[in-house]
Amino acid sequence: MAAEDLQQLRELVEFLKANGIAEFDMERTDLKVRLKFAGLQPSTGVDASSLSNLASAIAAQGAAQVVPVAVPAALPSVQAAAGQASAPPVAAPAGGAAAAEAGPEAGAHIVKSPIVGTFYDAPSPDADPFVKVGDRVSTGQVLCIVEAMKLMNEIESDFSGEVVKVYVKTGQPVEYGQALFAIK
Amino acid sequence: MFRKVLIANRGEIALRVISACKEMGIRTVAVYSEADRNSLHVKFADEAICIGPPASKDSYLNIPSVISAAEIAGADAIHPGYGLLSENANFAEVCRASNIKFIGPKPEVTRMMGEKSTARQTMKNAKVPILPGSDGILENEDEALAYAEKIRYPVILKAVAGGGGRGMRIVRSKEELPGMFAQASTEAQNAFGNGALYMEKFIERPRHIEFQVLADEHGNVMSLGERECSIQRRHQKLIEEAPSLQVTPKLRERLGKTIERSLRDIGYWNAGTIEFLMDEDGEIYFIEMNTRIQVEHCVTEMVTGVDLVKAQLRIAAGERLRDIVPEVPEIRGHAIECRINAEHPEKFTPSPGKITVFNLPGGNGVRVDTAQYAEGVVPQYYDSMIAKLICHGKDREEAMDKMQRALSQFVVQGIHTSIPLHQAIFADEEFRRGEFDTKFMERFLERQKAKGRD
Repeated sequence: MAAEDLQQLRELVEFLKANGIAEFDMERTDLKVRLKFAGLQPSTGVDASSLSNLASAIAAQGAAQVVPVAVPAALPSVQAAAGQASAPPVAAPAGGAAAAEAGPEAGAHIVKSPIVGTFYDAPSPDADPFVKVGDRVSTGQVLCIVEAMKLMNEIESDFSGEVVKVYVKTGQPVEYGQALFAIK
Repeated sequence: MFRKVLIANRGEIALRVISACKEMGIRTVAVYSEADRNSLHVKFADEAICIGPPASKDSYLNIPSVISAAEIAGADAIHPGYGLLSENANFAEVCRASNIKFIGPKPEVTRMMGEKSTARQTMKNAKVPILPGSDGILENEDEALAYAEKIRYPVILKAVAGGGGRGMRIVRSKEELPGMFAQASTEAQNAFGNGALYMEKFIERPRHIEFQVLADEHGNVMSLGERECSIQRRHQKLIEEAPSLQVTPKLRERLGKTIERSLRDIGYWNAGTIEFLMDEDGEIYFIEMNTRIQVEHCVTEMVTGVDLVKAQLRIAAGERLRDIVPEVPEIRGHAIECRINAEHPEKFTPSPGKITVFNLPGGNGVRVDTAQYAEGVVPQYYDSMIAKLICHGKDREEAMDKMQRALSQFVVQGIHTSIPLHQAIFADEEFRRGEFDTKFMERFLERQKAKGRD
């Protein structure tokens, strides 16, 4: 492998490591980029550190055909892969990896549904909601109802703080582990 | 026909039911635990709902979660698969109360056939031959001797309160009986606090033969022939075949008719399997009934051409048996199934983990039912079966040749599997001759150990 190409590959690897990218494909002609960020999946293929080992290993072996990639100055913005296959929707987003995204809920504690059922934000259709964004809540306080099999289950907060986000709408079906509230 | 069916199961059977539904234009809802988020049954269903954490008791066995999922998805019916909630009469009742069709028999029938002594009595009333026994506690030695005369030696004494082999004694002659009776009773008293014993006929070298049935909800029942399931280790089936070399056409017909009559009498619905033991003289005795679809249903499908899962859906939707299976199917050729488990082929220790290579065999008469895939993860929370490999040939010889070829092309890496074990079994003389009984695996493993020593 030409020294120049190896240098480019090293720069690419550093770039990938710096941005926490665990997997990276690229095809040329039609620019096709696929990225996977590290840490969103319990076990997946290559991690960033092994990429630089790979570069050295290839150089050492003098293995065939590592196509040098020109790293663009700014990579086209790509969606962070969710890391797992999206479960087909049930009128509710795929639950589970309820990582708080950027925004007011960054770093907040997520209250997740402990059961499957229908979410209601108030004790009855004409009543006020239990809580709204901005309210302070304490551990044990009832935040909502999830109805399952005609039983109204009161869902208590497992955290004290301020409600910064409500993820679901009243009447919406929710699954086990689905994010309901963000509390900071 | 149902608009939407929820599959209350996981793994290969969930995928099997989802596939049948897809072919019939029925929308499917999968339920999954957090450990199964990336499962194929989740990926290939139209909708999927997470119902709990990894442990089965908190997810797949959690009746409120499953029912609640069916409610929010608006499912018309639930298919319970095998294992899990499939023979849970309470679950079937909750379905009924929630206006969701349970794909299987009525809860009352499930309950009746699930209770060993009621099942025996029911079959006895219907003149199905049952394993002779004392039908109750033995008051004393004299009663034991009297029963043993009727039943004929060898007999086995078992603890009423027990299990795990304790309080059990095999008695081969009347001279032995008094001593054994005292020993068994004392052991049972010490182990379970209850020394009461009952007696059953003991079969030295039994074969496990089971019959597949379908029954509609209008009183029509059909037997679809038998399966031979004697290749078992610790009561877990490893290899199943259809038909059984031991069952003559006459026996198949006679027993088939008896079974049909008995199930009509009890008002059985949907798919079911009746299990028998066959003794060394070819006499056959009822032991229990499974009121659900079974793992090994595939071998019956291969020799009869009947899709049993589709039949289940159609029966539950109210169709008549004569429209689903117009004629009693002919048994064509021979089919064998190997259960591929994620376990060490010699130590039998479980081997969960990530599959790195997964190459499936194919070809004429080769079927693989699996929900695993390359890069898939076998979780440690559930049973270890990851695939079923079924081969169908014009006779047993051809089915075995195909199986050997298919096993050699079934490549799984990243975890241990029972594939090498199956390869060794298919090379074994006793297995190939077909002269086995339920003790086969013990003898086979002894032979393997001896080979290892030489």
